Amino acid sequence: MLGRPMSSLVHRLLSRPLRLPAFLGPSPKPGDPQIFRFNGEREQIITDVVGRTVEQYQGDAKKLLYVLNEAGNAEIRRLSAQGDAEADDKLGAWRRLVKRLGKMTEEERVESVRAIARTMADDIAGNFDIRVYGLATRIVPGVLTAVMNPGNLPQQLMAGFSQLDTLITAEGPIEKLKRLAQIGTLVLVPTHSSNLDSVALGYVLMREGLPPVVYGAGKNLFSNPLISFFMHNLGAYRVDRRVSALLYKEVLKTYSCIMIERGYHSLFFPGGTRSRSGMIERRLKLGLAGTGVEAFSRNQVRGIHRPVFFVPATLNYTLVLEAETLIEDHLKGAGQARYIIEDDEFSRLDRVLAFVNKLSTLRSALVLRFGDAMDPFCNPVDEWGRSIAPSGQTIDPASYVRRRGQPTIDPARDAGYTRELGEVVARAYQRETVIIWTQLVAHVLYRHLVAATPELDLFSRQRRRGEVAMPRERLVREVGEARDRLLAFEAEGRVRVGPVLRSLAPERIVSDALAAWRDYHTRTVAREVGADIMIEDPNLLLFYQNRVLPWAEELATPETLAAARSIAAMGGKP
Amino acid sequence: MTAPPIGIVGGGDFGWGLALAAERAGRKVVLWTRRPQRAGTAKIELAQGPGDLADAELIFFAVPSPFVADVARELGGCLDGSHYLVHISRGIVGEELLGLTQVLRSETPCRRVGALAGPLVARALAEGVPSGGVVASRFPEVRDAVREAIGGPATRLYSTDDVIGAEFASAAVGLFAVALGFAQASGLGPAALAMLSTRAMAEAARLGVLLGGKHETFMGLAGFGDLLAAVAGDGRPELEIGRSLAQGGSLEQLAKQAGYIEALGSARRVAAYARRIKARAPVVEICARVFAGEVAGPAAVQALMSREVGEE
Repeated sequence: MLGRPMSSLVHRLLSRPLRLPAFLGPSPKPGDPQIFRFNGEREQIITDVVGRTVEQYQGDAKKLLYVLNEAGNAEIRRLSAQGDAEADDKLGAWRRLVKRLGKMTEEERVESVRAIARTMADDIAGNFDIRVYGLATRIVPGVLTAVMNPGNLPQQLMAGFSQLDTLITAEGPIEKLKRLAQIGTLVLVPTHSSNLDSVALGYVLMREGLPPVVYGAGKNLFSNPLISFFMHNLGAYRVDRRVSALLYKEVLKTYSCIMIERGYHSLFFPGGTRSRSGMIERRLKLGLAGTGVEAFSRNQVRGIHRPVFFVPATLNYTLVLEAETLIEDHLKGAGQARYIIEDDEFSRLDRVLAFVNKLSTLRSALVLRFGDAMDPFCNPVDEWGRSIAPSGQTIDPASYVRRRGQPTIDPARDAGYTRELGEVVARAYQRETVIIWTQLVAHVLYRHLVAATPELDLFSRQRRRGEVAMPRERLVREVGEARDRLLAFEAEGRVRVGPVLRSLAPERIVSDALAAWRDYHTRTVAREVGADIMIEDPNLLLFYQNRVLPWAEELATPETLAAARSIAAMGGKP
Repeated sequence: MTAPPIGIVGGGDFGWGLALAAERAGRKVVLWTRRPQRAGTAKIELAQGPGDLADAELIFFAVPSPFVADVARELGGCLDGSHYLVHISRGIVGEELLGLTQVLRSETPCRRVGALAGPLVARALAEGVPSGGVVASRFPEVRDAVREAIGGPATRLYSTDDVIGAEFASAAVGLFAVALGFAQASGLGPAALAMLSTRAMAEAARLGVLLGGKHETFMGLAGFGDLLAAVAGDGRPELEIGRSLAQGGSLEQLAKQAGYIEALGSARRVAAYARRIKARAPVVEICARVFAGEVAGPAAVQALMSREVGEE
């Protein structure tokens, strides 16, 4: 009997993120990003979220009963299956609620929704501590540099961590984004390859002088106390993907909407989950990012004319920390089933250290490219944040939410805009993708494997380890040819070419790619055997080459076209 | 509040049909055409230029697809995000087979766009005889606005959010109506015509789904319903063109008589698209070859009938 309260107490202590005492903290200054004021507004934000959520159900007895029933049963199902300390803590309350629901008055049901929404919003809401932000800006580059190359730390300290600056490149209209951040609310919508994405993005924003953003991080990412401390105190809010209750989704959506309404720059991964295949995401539901459209409408109705700018971005890694797990999951077709992967490389300290250590040997680890900003209705915006129509004239974005002269709140209309936005962001991803040298070498090697095994289906081909070799001289030649074509596509504005791929000789690109894969991945990707390169791990090759897939056919020569077409067909319809 | 006027671009039969239907619904209409062939009425005002349409909320585009981009660009400078644009064209543009809503979206600042599809013909709209169609838009307010403007007891308008499906179904029906006219004049009987219709729609649905549409759109009023109306003889020109082709008429001559027929321009591109994405589209392929003058009537019928029979 004693065990229950103890485990419950331990659970509570562990599940509450650590915060520094509020007193003695510095106050935000004028001109600071909105997030610096978050802690002062946190309680009001939660109250607003709860109030608006209750409004959704109040006055509609059927809807009210349904949402409580659904939440109760969904939570009982989840907690019973979990059977952990959280279940001990909460299961009883949910069971009592479901049992009493039929006898409750409408007022009691409304109060139940209010209480549940309050608990949920409190769990979701993040925290922002200026002291932690200051600490992070000072120590993160140092820690990363030290881990990557401890012997070189004194020189790095003197040089201002230039190694990290070289490893992580930021491209795109950064100065314009800084201006737009002063004018309106940025909604960053990047591609998603790794759990390191949010950390890398946070670092780049900090380094480039862009404001910090709030974002919803999976609750599983908070399981590591150190990461949890930084995430929680730097504005991340917690999204528990295990909770399927509609009420929870409503609270989450409302929280995200209210944050954008209040001018908090936000970050969402519209693909929803990390790309399992390595392909650039093409079908975006946008999910919570769609609340940017609703937030804009709601502000217009209240007479607040603060613009919202959507900013697509691509994260282009030389090596992906979780590549092995992700591609394995993709090939198993288990992407949906394992929406939350908890046993990947990100959760293993040895793999993270090996990864970070490997980075120090690379010429470039990540190219983060920001695309051009657009309003919620897919119009480009100029330097002053004005929406630009196809005619080149400026256009009032508020006109999109007006009905006969009056701005209105219309979720069905905004769902239409959100769908359009998803399509436009997906097209921007392709345009703003930066092809990295490891991806191109993987593509040429994989194309050779496909050409050598034309009769095999995907799964049979993936088992061909150490059986197909490509003459090195041919690999170098084909990489050179493909790089030249990519540069031509870049000139047409169709794709971007990474700095290393652009500048090195093909021979060097090939040897650097082989070296990059060596030592980090637990399996050999490809190795040199005399004058040949032996393909050892078709899975990892597939993962890295998938990024190049949309251009596969156009990169091919007549002799490699058939294989390239098979590869292109793996991406589904054009 | 007084309802805003309905804008109409294009003074052909369909443009006037829409204007008269809106007038019957009690709405004011502003119709913009470069070559006015009829005088306005008490409720139908002829616009002097695109700027006159700015007061409208809903604007119908009733111009052939090759002109839509230019007209939309000209009009676009007078519009903003509050306008709804709906086209009635059976055209699809470019090698990627884009629907005209995509053209309207890229040439104007308007996002709330839609398409009118199905067996709605100009005469039925003008005279108010029982008829129906499908209004496709991702935006419910656009669907409602079209219903309010021209719908009523005589004109039943169903709605869908499957814009891609409705636009491609409409284009495919135009193409297959030519094929059916051709088959009728080549002496095929009802069973063969039914077979051609069903296989053709199955093919259209396959391609439409690959383009991003929904299969059920092709089986509904925008697809099968529309084709049925064409075969039943609702007076549309495509069927007549098909018959004349089978009787040895030249395309140039037919085009002069019937005006611009969208299907003749799109068959080649649809066939090329199907080949490119490796989709089976034998009916479209044969239509394209017939329209290009590569295959004569009997050979085309022979080619269709000699195809391997598979499962439905």
